[in-house]
Amino acid sequence: MMKSETSKNNEQQLKNASNAALASLLNLTILPVISFIALLFIYKKTQPGNIDHYHAVLGIKINITAALALFLVSTLMIVLGGFHSPWTWVYVITYFTIVHTIFIVFAIWALVRSWSGDKLRSKHN
Amino acid sequence: MKYQSQSIAKLYFIAAIGLFVGQILFGVTLGLQYVIGDFLFPEIPFNVARMVHTNLLIVWLLFGFMGSAYYLVPEESERELYAPWLAKLMFWIFLIAGALTILGYLMVPYATLAEITMNDLLPTMGREFLEQPTITKIGIVIVALAFLFNIGMTILTGRKTVISLVLLTGLIGLAVFFLFSFYNPDNVVMDKYFWWFVVHLWVEGVWELIMAAMLAYVLIKVTGVDREVIEKWLYIIIAMALISGLIGTGHHFFWIGAPDYWQWLGSIFSAIEPIPFFMMTLFAFNVVNKRRRDHPNKAAVLWALGTAVMAFLGAGVWGFLHTLAPVNFYTHGTQITAAHGHMAFYGAYVMVILTMISYSMPLMRGKQAGNARAQVIEMWSFWLMTVAMVFITLFLTGAGILQVYLQRYSDTPLGFMATQDKLEIFYWAREGAGVIFLIGLFLYIYSFFAKGEDVVMPEAAVAS
Ligand code: HEM
Ligand code: HEM
Ligand SMILES: [Fe+2]
Repeated sequence: MMKSETSKNNEQQLKNASNAALASLLNLTILPVISFIALLFIYKKTQPGNIDHYHAVLGIKINITAALALFLVSTLMIVLGGFHSPWTWVYVITYFTIVHTIFIVFAIWALVRSWSGDKLRSKHN
Repeated sequence: MKYQSQSIAKLYFIAAIGLFVGQILFGVTLGLQYVIGDFLFPEIPFNVARMVHTNLLIVWLLFGFMGSAYYLVPEESERELYAPWLAKLMFWIFLIAGALTILGYLMVPYATLAEITMNDLLPTMGREFLEQPTITKIGIVIVALAFLFNIGMTILTGRKTVISLVLLTGLIGLAVFFLFSFYNPDNVVMDKYFWWFVVHLWVEGVWELIMAAMLAYVLIKVTGVDREVIEKWLYIIIAMALISGLIGTGHHFFWIGAPDYWQWLGSIFSAIEPIPFFMMTLFAFNVVNKRRRDHPNKAAVLWALGTAVMAFLGAGVWGFLHTLAPVNFYTHGTQITAAHGHMAFYGAYVMVILTMISYSMPLMRGKQAGNARAQVIEMWSFWLMTVAMVFITLFLTGAGILQVYLQRYSDTPLGFMATQDKLEIFYWAREGAGVIFLIGLFLYIYSFFAKGEDVVMPEAAVAS
């Protein structure tokens, strides 16, 4: 009895973890804001120390860092470089595209790790 | 290597790498001509060097695809190649035809080449990527048919796997769409349609099937993950590729005189095109994460992962960047296009062939994997070429944005050449990155000759 209880628990955790990682990836790509709210809801359902908690926190961290790195830095570039300078846009668009992509690729890896119930670092096999 | 006839791939791969070197030498020549306008003029004018650069690319990718198929198909079909002699014969025909064509570009003016190859009888020359004389095009068709017959018979009389069938479908598509290059209507709008039916339906359609099949094959081999898992992914990837890619052709019909609705159709469907590339990244990451063994060929795993990521970047992200009609209105035909063209071709098709070569070449030379030192050198070459390509892309993107602003967006637009003068710094930087790329390529070739100790894997890791 106990055993099936824990395995049910694990299954739920795995599901939460992959949903969290998916929400994080969606927030970075085609469904911003809404996905972040969903991610926060998933986070609220999780317990510290569990894998779903880990992935919810990771997702929140990735997205907050991405928001800062993308919007804050881009805004700074525009403010400092001037809205009407072509060079501002050279930097902003190139920077935004490549950095955004790096975050997306990172979130894809996180998603894959959540599917196998792993943390980013812990060794699989 | 389980079947003797697989080793025919080696011939194809050696030729592919040789032509790759030629392609890059002309690339850095072009890059220099961008900043030193009369460099090598009149011996090798820019337009000729450009044609040689792009044609060598296409030809060596075709060598790479054929070599990969000759390696992959016997093993998947669990039998020897149907007609190994035919594969060898076609190799020499293709190589000689290819070499003669390139020499033709370099030795005589293009108009003269058209004349001596009797282009008038069936005019097909003059369109980018498809500049080959008609006679060469006919040669390509013959080689392609013999090739399809050979691997088709091998597949049909052997074990049929999802991988080999997807590969075959892609290769048949490649040959069929090439036939559009024989139709050269006078009406320029029609002409553009048919040109894109080759170029776009290749790289954003059937070539994606070839790529997905080859990537799946190598991933099964190096990770030991179950075929069933991989096959499910393949189905979704190819379905997404075809659904988005076919109507996505419309992103080339925005400004050529085609009906307006293409702006909607092209924008919407091509906006979905990044998905198959995204799925390939997800797929490759997933399979490597779930691997059941550590393969001694670390370099091949690196190439496979690199392909998945760089194809997503070059095709998916840099494609999406300029694919919506309101954006493309400004960026059409600028350096943004060149930035995307470079990273997409490199990230998807160059890298997937290098992945196949990396995996199969040691096996054809009687080893599981290259020796430790060779692999380190190969991985260095991976990083040099890949990072150099990222920088080429970034510099061209910067150049493209400035170009759009100065020439098309500004209230007081500059002329084309006045704008080009302002982009010089980017072109120098691109040339620098190009030289790094060339160094990476030389290192890559050196890795095949480097001596060192064999990689021995702990028994358990290999067996499981
Ligand atoms: C591996 C796949 C791909 C390759 C190798 C590739 C390569 C190229 C090349 C070489 C060109 C320039 C053609 C020319 O005018 O000479 C081009 C144009 C273009 N590509 Fe791609 N591409 C790929 C995928 C994509 C994807 C997935 C998208 C969209 C999401 C896309 C969007 C575009 C657009 C909009 C243009 C036209 C640019 C213009 O108007 O000047 N490409 N591509
Ligand atoms: C594997 C690596 C490479 C690939 C796959 C590649 C591919 C291509 C393609 C597809 C085009 C046509 C682009 C278009 O129509 O928009 C092109 C043109 C060109 N490439 Fe490359 N290339 C490579 C390496 C290089 C390198 C290393 C350089 C130089 C540093 C270079 C310089 C050029 C130049 C200057 C053009 C002409 C662009 C123009 O007409 O404005 N390429 N290349
Ligand atoms: Fe296209």
